[in-house]
Amino acid sequence: MVENRQVLVKVTDLTVSYRQGSGWHQVVDGVDFEIARGEVFGLVGESGCGKSTVALQLLGYRHAAMRTDRGSVDLEGVGILKLGRLALNALRGNTVSYVPQNPTTALSPGMRAGEQIGECLAAHHYGDAAACLARTTELFGLVGLPEAPDFARRFPHQLSGGQQQRVCIAMALACDPKLVVLDEPTTGLDVTTQEQIVELLVDLRERLAMSMLYVTHDLGLLSQLADRIGVMYAGRMVEVAPAADLFADPKHPYTQGLIGAIPRIDDVTQQPSRPLRGLLQRQSLPKGCPFAPRCDAAQPRCFDEVQDLKPCGAARMAACWRVDEIEPPLALTQGDPSRRPAAVDSLLNIDAVSIAYGHGKRRFQALRNVSLDVRKGETVALVGESGSGKSTLARAIAGLVEPVSGSIRLQGRGLAAKVKARTSEQRRLIQFVFQNPDASLNPRAAVRTALSRPFDFYFPDRASEAGGRVISTLADVRLDQAYARRYPDQLSGGERQRVAIARALIAEPALLLCDEILSALDVSVQASILALLQRLKTERGIAMLFISHDLAVVRMLADRVSVLFRGDVVESGSCAQVFSAPFHPYTHALLEAVPVPRKRRRRGTGRRAETSSSPAGCAYAGRCAWQIGAICETDAPPWRTADGGLAIRCHHSLDELHHRATWPGDFATPT
Amino acid sequence: MIAALVSITANLAADIAAILLNPRLRTGKTMAEIDITLAPAEQKRPRPLALWRQMPLSFRIGSVILAIHLFVAVTGPFWARYGYSQMGAGPPLSGMSLAHPFGIDQLSRDVFSRVVHGSHIVILLALSGTLLGLVLGSIIGLLSGYVGGWVDEAVQRVLEALISIPFLVLALIAIAAAGTDYSGNPVLIVLVVALVYAPRIARMARAAAIDIATRDYVTVARLRGESAWSVMLRELLPNATGVLLVEFALRAGYAPVLIGSLGFLGFGLRPPTPEWGLMISENRSLLIIAPSTVLGPGLALASLVVGLNLFTEGLARVLGRTVKLGNQ
Repeated sequence: MVENRQVLVKVTDLTVSYRQGSGWHQVVDGVDFEIARGEVFGLVGESGCGKSTVALQLLGYRHAAMRTDRGSVDLEGVGILKLGRLALNALRGNTVSYVPQNPTTALSPGMRAGEQIGECLAAHHYGDAAACLARTTELFGLVGLPEAPDFARRFPHQLSGGQQQRVCIAMALACDPKLVVLDEPTTGLDVTTQEQIVELLVDLRERLAMSMLYVTHDLGLLSQLADRIGVMYAGRMVEVAPAADLFADPKHPYTQGLIGAIPRIDDVTQQPSRPLRGLLQRQSLPKGCPFAPRCDAAQPRCFDEVQDLKPCGAARMAACWRVDEIEPPLALTQGDPSRRPAAVDSLLNIDAVSIAYGHGKRRFQALRNVSLDVRKGETVALVGESGSGKSTLARAIAGLVEPVSGSIRLQGRGLAAKVKARTSEQRRLIQFVFQNPDASLNPRAAVRTALSRPFDFYFPDRASEAGGRVISTLADVRLDQAYARRYPDQLSGGERQRVAIARALIAEPALLLCDEILSALDVSVQASILALLQRLKTERGIAMLFISHDLAVVRMLADRVSVLFRGDVVESGSCAQVFSAPFHPYTHALLEAVPVPRKRRRRGTGRRAETSSSPAGCAYAGRCAWQIGAICETDAPPWRTADGGLAIRCHHSLDELHHRATWPGDFATPT
Repeated sequence: MIAALVSITANLAADIAAILLNPRLRTGKTMAEIDITLAPAEQKRPRPLALWRQMPLSFRIGSVILAIHLFVAVTGPFWARYGYSQMGAGPPLSGMSLAHPFGIDQLSRDVFSRVVHGSHIVILLALSGTLLGLVLGSIIGLLSGYVGGWVDEAVQRVLEALISIPFLVLALIAIAAAGTDYSGNPVLIVLVVALVYAPRIARMARAAAIDIATRDYVTVARLRGESAWSVMLRELLPNATGVLLVEFALRAGYAPVLIGSLGFLGFGLRPPTPEWGLMISENRSLLIIAPSTVLGPGLALASLVVGLNLFTEGLARVLGRTVKLGNQ
């Protein structure tokens, strides 16, 4: 960092409680940190650790069910927590601004994009209407949105998710704030859009030299962006360190666990995820270090003594008294036991399936002639950004969407398009696990009821076994039998997803359709569910169709991968083939977009342009970095196949694609 | 039909039992046999009194009011000082006094005793009528909303036709259709109340069903091949209880008035039945001379309605099972 850093914000001993029933529950406990001018400070932790609460305190946010017990937030000598409402109004948006997590709900749906920014400018007396308009146009240019006036007149629903987030960022930048607080600004976006937003933020930081507080649960992302990182656990700051040092040599056991839990796309030989043990349970924290119950290095002293942040090394601090003794656990190397040669028996054949929604002009072709095979016990991954049709395919297999043409066969027999027309046996063999565990469990059914119902339904003659099966299936997903009495609201997100998986398993399926089942979960929870899936795969031999946009996860789990773009399969092959050159240009772009710790960002992958609407040409034409020319727009690309089943759909030859590939590029060697 | 009634009542009873024996308050002590198995967080079980204090205030007040009403309805006839048609309790139209808290009516009957005697009639007829309407309306509405398509269209048009007829007219038509022999028959009155309320409750239930039917757990049930009836009972109904309970409480408050209006028109319960709505109608003309004769049954009715509303509102909140902040 800069030599003589000027401190912009200093947070001292911040302690915040929320009202809970009749008492107060402390969610942030004595947090200290500071942000220098022009610095990007990353705040990371699992959900519920209080990081968003801390972020909101920088804007002096308060409401009736919340109170600040101690501490201060000092912004250039002004104590924000003591300011009155009017002073806060003048400060917010002007000196400190905020970018929320979900741009869809953050923008007023009835207001045009330009007006929303104009409103912010007017509130801070920027100038007359003409000046505001000029500034709005300037801001749109700054965040990479079209400067055309008709774009500013669009309503939020006419913008894509990435564009909406850019509008939110433009709004935050409107009054040249000294500090921008970003609360998970890319969490709801898919990986290519996320990359563009991060790139925009890096670029803005260099040009505007403003400070940022970036709150996220994604450590990989922070490595691309942050100068310094603060790690929070259970309302306390457990480690603060410069980003590079944190990744190279994490000191606190929690940070070590968190970094270990990130699925690594660049390094498959290393056992990718070492799940953190257990879960954050705020009801039963020990008196001492909050992490002690989950810590491998915990000693009796940890449970009784509060650990404060202490300096350890240059410009870094950790809250652990054993900092100097603990070595990061050695990476467990393993030679891919999960990837055994799959059986040749075919389980599911999808042959030239096309699916369209709507009629006439509004007809939308979700899938075009997609063919895919899943063999017994094999995991096939479907990869692509949102809108690529991967979920539609899963829904068609499940019988929720009717294909326009093509056929789906299970174990050699044709599957009826509608789920009602299928036999009970066919329905049992295909089980669906949904993305969002909050919506996929009936909130009014106890876990026991949720699990025993499918069993009773599919095996009516084995009713007496139901109770035992519920408990053994819970054990299969590593849940204690005491969970059978619980209701979904008494479970954490990861536990709910385990119950959802258990509900699928109790039907003894042959094929599990997993639709983005990890994306709603925290990284450490993701790692443990991933470990569960890998175990199920090896022990049970259940085939999976694994839909994900997270390529690191796919690389760890899948036997074969199909890459979808706008309803077309553009590349398919075994996992090793898809993740090594030659790549389809789209696969390559996806891989480049994945943030990897210890890898610095490459520049200039270009903005996402609209793709051509011509049905004849390549779907990816227009966005493709390696586009040849007009031929891509007009002619359908041929399939180029290589030995071992790799198939790429591109006008380039395989040799040419091989030659152009730059991924995986120059990963810094792990220290 | 009876199966559905039993199932819905059982559902409600199970919910109440679930609150009282809340599993979240039990300790899951068993530590994992396998060390990776997650053991649930230890949770302490509060005493029944503490549990009562945790309930929403509205639930507590409502259940106390309802308990008093129920007590009066069951035991009232045994301790009321006068019979409901016993004349000569005192000078007609004399106001409130300690001996006659709600005064004396035109026929020299003690209004307080009449209110006490009428309690079980109101609770039996009004509540059972509304409950029947709730059961019918919920079944029709939930199924229609879940099945959708032309079935839904057809059912909705019929319901709209029923709703478009003013409720008193609809009730009179139904009573007229039943014939004069059954006029004043309590069973007929229950059926009429149900007929008037079922379409209105069905609309609410349908709206709730359309919302719930998009949730993934309903999709899971559909993928399993469950019948519409089973989906309704297992997935839709438990999640619609909040809406339906509030609807029930609101409708139950109007039911005695509806029954009273029917009686006043000569199609419902006949005087001297001490039904509260009927008493209010009878004594309406005396409102200026002896307000206590209307005030008595009016207050009784109002307290029942307020109690029901508070109770169901609190119940809906308890059943809502919202995630608490501390577990965020």
